[in-house]
Amino acid sequence: MKHIARIALVLFAISAVCTALCAVVNEVTAPAIAQNTEKTRLEALEAVAAGYTIGKEQEGNGGDIAYVIPLADESGKTAGCILQLSSSGYGGEMTIVASYSLDGTLLGAKLMADSETPGLGKKAEEDWYMAMFQGKGGTEPIPTAKSMLPADLNAQVSGATITFTGVSSALAAGSEYVKGLGGSI
Amino acid sequence: MSQMKELTKGIFRENPVFIIMLGMCPTLGVSTQVSNALGMGASVIFVLTCSNIFISLCRKIIPDAVRIPCYIVIIASFVTIVEMVLHAFVPAVYDALGVYLPLIVVNCIILGRAEAFAGKNGVVASALDGIGMGIGFTLSLTLIALIREVIGAGTITLFPMGSFSGTITLPGISESPVRVMTLAAGALLLMGYLKAFFAWKGERKA
Repeated sequence: MKHIARIALVLFAISAVCTALCAVVNEVTAPAIAQNTEKTRLEALEAVAAGYTIGKEQEGNGGDIAYVIPLADESGKTAGCILQLSSSGYGGEMTIVASYSLDGTLLGAKLMADSETPGLGKKAEEDWYMAMFQGKGGTEPIPTAKSMLPADLNAQVSGATITFTGVSSALAAGSEYVKGLGGSI
Repeated sequence: MSQMKELTKGIFRENPVFIIMLGMCPTLGVSTQVSNALGMGASVIFVLTCSNIFISLCRKIIPDAVRIPCYIVIIASFVTIVEMVLHAFVPAVYDALGVYLPLIVVNCIILGRAEAFAGKNGVVASALDGIGMGIGFTLSLTLIALIREVIGAGTITLFPMGSFSGTITLPGISESPVRVMTLAAGALLLMGYLKAFFAWKGERKA
């Protein structure tokens, strides 16, 4: 019993020292990490804004749409919006920033955070991946199944079906949400 | 003299990649660009040296029955520290290393050196072993990345500094690169050739 208690005590002491070390470093690095994350988010918003002026952030639907940002054209008229969408991939939660015109057509999208497999699901971070969905969602539906894709793109997303389903279903849900707003953003 | 041997053994005689063949997963995974290799190498040097020192300091109080969990806790803590520091101050390298960075926890070079060396030797020798093995790993990784990137993409990617964009494009080869070298198959092919070269050099010395 004494032997087991000694083992537990040593393991606890080592864990406590290691945790304290991590906590100190976290205190120092957390502000810089938050700053980097915000910078990346702003860059992503600029990238998907399609040249429109980015408006003020509003609350989303309290579920898989975290926020809505209106987009205005040169005359100041609302031309669309940016949504932050969340969905599930193979490696866990994925965060996507996507812009839509008022009729639900996807203008641009970017995968912001994910834990997908390098070489497979990670392909969703590349520009060509989101370009598959661009211009769709209005008159033409957003492809939510691999069978809706041309053969070459179907082959490209093979091996990462869960990632594809997660991304496409989030983008389709975003499109429906924008349509549901009916231009009142 | 023996301390110098501890430091230099990891560079050639007991090189972790080409001789002991440890840490193959990150070696093949991140050796697509020279900057990634340098970032990974620096991270491994830090984790290996710190964990070797910490484990050597605690070697007399760590009970044999729980030595592996203790080693893993220590190594994981230093990896977490490296992760936070890179995320905060070198985000480009943090993004490029991706999943391979947290996987340093299970890099067999680090656990291997903890078990084979730091758990049985003094602090100074363990620190030198960690630095030497880390440098050996970094040099091997950089050599593989340099050959793969030059032949496979015709570029050398370093870190951007001032007006320097960070990428050196090599005329000629960048227009018609051997793409297979950037893929996993190319990495394995190159590892085979380099392993053969190191074995030949070792035999000649003997």
